[in-house]
Amino acid sequence: MAQPIRLDDVRKEYHTAGASHVAVDDLSLEIPEGSFTTIVGPSGCGKTTTLRMIAGLETPTSGTIHFGDRDVTDVRPQDRNAAMVFQSIALYPHMTVRENIAYGLKVAGVPKAKRDAAVDEAAETLQIREQLEKMPAELSGGQQQRVALGSAFVQDPDVLLLDEPMSDLDAKLKAELRVEVQRLHKEMDATMVYVTHDQTEAMTMSDHVLLLEEGRLAQFAPPSDLFDRPVSQYVAEFIGTPSTNTLPATVEVGGDAPTIVGEQFEIPAPSDLFADRIGDSVTVGIRPQYLSPDGGDHHVRVIVDVVEQLGTEFVVHGTSVDGTHINVVDERVGDAGPDDELSVGFDGGDAFVFDKDGETICHGDVLVAARSASPSQ
Amino acid sequence: MLGLGEGAAGKFVSQRTQEQVRRVTVILTALLVAIFVSIPVYVMIAIAFQPSVTTFRGGQVNLLFDSFTFDNFVLLFTETGTPRYLFNSFVVTASSTLLATALSVAAGYGLTRFEFRGKTMAARAVLFAYMFSPIVLAIPLYVIFFSLGMLDSYFALTLALTGISAPFGIWLMWQYFQTVPIALEESAWIRGASRTRTLWEVVLPVARPGTIATAIFSFSVAWNDFTMARVVMSQQEMYPITVGASLFLDRVSIGWSETMAAAVLMSLPPFAIALFLQNYLLQGFNVGGLE
Repeated sequence: MAQPIRLDDVRKEYHTAGASHVAVDDLSLEIPEGSFTTIVGPSGCGKTTTLRMIAGLETPTSGTIHFGDRDVTDVRPQDRNAAMVFQSIALYPHMTVRENIAYGLKVAGVPKAKRDAAVDEAAETLQIREQLEKMPAELSGGQQQRVALGSAFVQDPDVLLLDEPMSDLDAKLKAELRVEVQRLHKEMDATMVYVTHDQTEAMTMSDHVLLLEEGRLAQFAPPSDLFDRPVSQYVAEFIGTPSTNTLPATVEVGGDAPTIVGEQFEIPAPSDLFADRIGDSVTVGIRPQYLSPDGGDHHVRVIVDVVEQLGTEFVVHGTSVDGTHINVVDERVGDAGPDDELSVGFDGGDAFVFDKDGETICHGDVLVAARSASPSQ
Repeated sequence: MLGLGEGAAGKFVSQRTQEQVRRVTVILTALLVAIFVSIPVYVMIAIAFQPSVTTFRGGQVNLLFDSFTFDNFVLLFTETGTPRYLFNSFVVTASSTLLATALSVAAGYGLTRFEFRGKTMAARAVLFAYMFSPIVLAIPLYVIFFSLGMLDSYFALTLALTGISAPFGIWLMWQYFQTVPIALEESAWIRGASRTRTLWEVVLPVARPGTIATAIFSFSVAWNDFTMARVVMSQQEMYPITVGASLFLDRVSIGWSETMAAAVLMSLPPFAIALFLQNYLLQGFNVGGLE
């Protein structure tokens, strides 16, 4: 039975040689039962530590972890009915693939005939039937990871934890296994938690994303929310490739409403949010995908530095006149060459506005509403 | 202007010639080593399996076989304490190998898997202990065993030999366990296996090459030991074969032939082990960085 996972004020500190380091800082959230949640963030943000605490391999310094109604904070990893796939794959080198997959069942005392049946079924799903009698060392990296997934699959866990299982694989295998992992999620009655540093994996596979920043929760939401409604500049910049462009601006008095004034643009802003911010510096965030050579209400001139081709699209890396780094993703910018000047525009509705601490003040929809409310523009 | 070694490979001497030179050098070195190792072994065998009258005929040492006999061995077994010495050697070697290996595995696992106060100190102390020559420990050990009334016992010699071999064994297993990923154990725990079960079913099988290397090392220390046996054992019926065989040279009735026969007997177990377990030995020491 899939179980929701609830973390309440979970904190993990490490003490080494007198210095203490907070790996996870008062994390509280509830991962819905049966969901596919990815924990994502840069190296050292505490995502693996969080996963290991859910697995029971680390004990929180404070706070509690519940699987459903059951408090598992101090329950041994053996007794949590979880399964885990490790970054290092961790197949037992002295056992055949079949024995590897069946090991958990053997420990649980399942008779051999039933074990074999379960292994055969898992092997069928993961297309590793031919490999069952081989030793792990004889398999390719992708096959080894399939075996690891199979081991988790046969155990019928409540909670399936995956710790960067694909970080050592090449891009093509990653794409294949991504599909495999999602198929397993459909077939299994388990809450899946997947740790990755690759935000593309997080955005494409999961239905919830937990983005961590130095041990703290940055945002926990469905992928589309992280993309369209980031709660901070950190989230906006971490999610999406290339990274969100950030343009410095200040809030000024413009006519009857506050206006966000940048080097090359002026965006009318709603009074209720900006009236008491007059004179403050803010940051306008705009995704490279929402910048295009024609169209848009606001314009930015970009001096082209490098152009990359990505299939049908092109990525322009450049700088604006004030030196801010700007990326543009569009199909129509392929002709641009280094040192060309390009004028690109964006709609206020696609922009984010962050205060000087990096917290989101508002998203584009509020800016658009503000404009339609002030007919002077 | 190119300095020495700056040219591209194969620029001055063709790749092919380089390869040939390399092969010849390797073969020559191997041959030289083989000659140095095998001549003494051949001499031992030649003297052990010939009647002593043949060996010393005409006042020369005759090393070319023209007759073959087991007489020297028969004499060893009937006229001397050899059977008893061999038995003593086996008992002490087996118990010391077992004890040292068990100790090394347990200590190595503990040193890599648990944090405790003074861990680094303990590890350093172990390596430091290995630097001592056995003779340094001999007198203190004698005093200890004397006060405990344990002289002339298998147990005392077992402990003394383990004291010599265990430091290196612990160090070796400590290194070896560092190469066994903890994720293997964690994955077993999550699948429900207890720590003990994981140790038996996952950790020890994976650490087998290191364990066997440690066992072989403790075996060779115990089997070849002379010093400790000499110190701990004072009664002749407790002597291992090493000490026992050294007595032959002092006796008029027993000569080179019998001594060499005893040497052959002594060499057989290490030879058999080297033959059957050399792969494990290499794997084990490889990890320890001692190729």
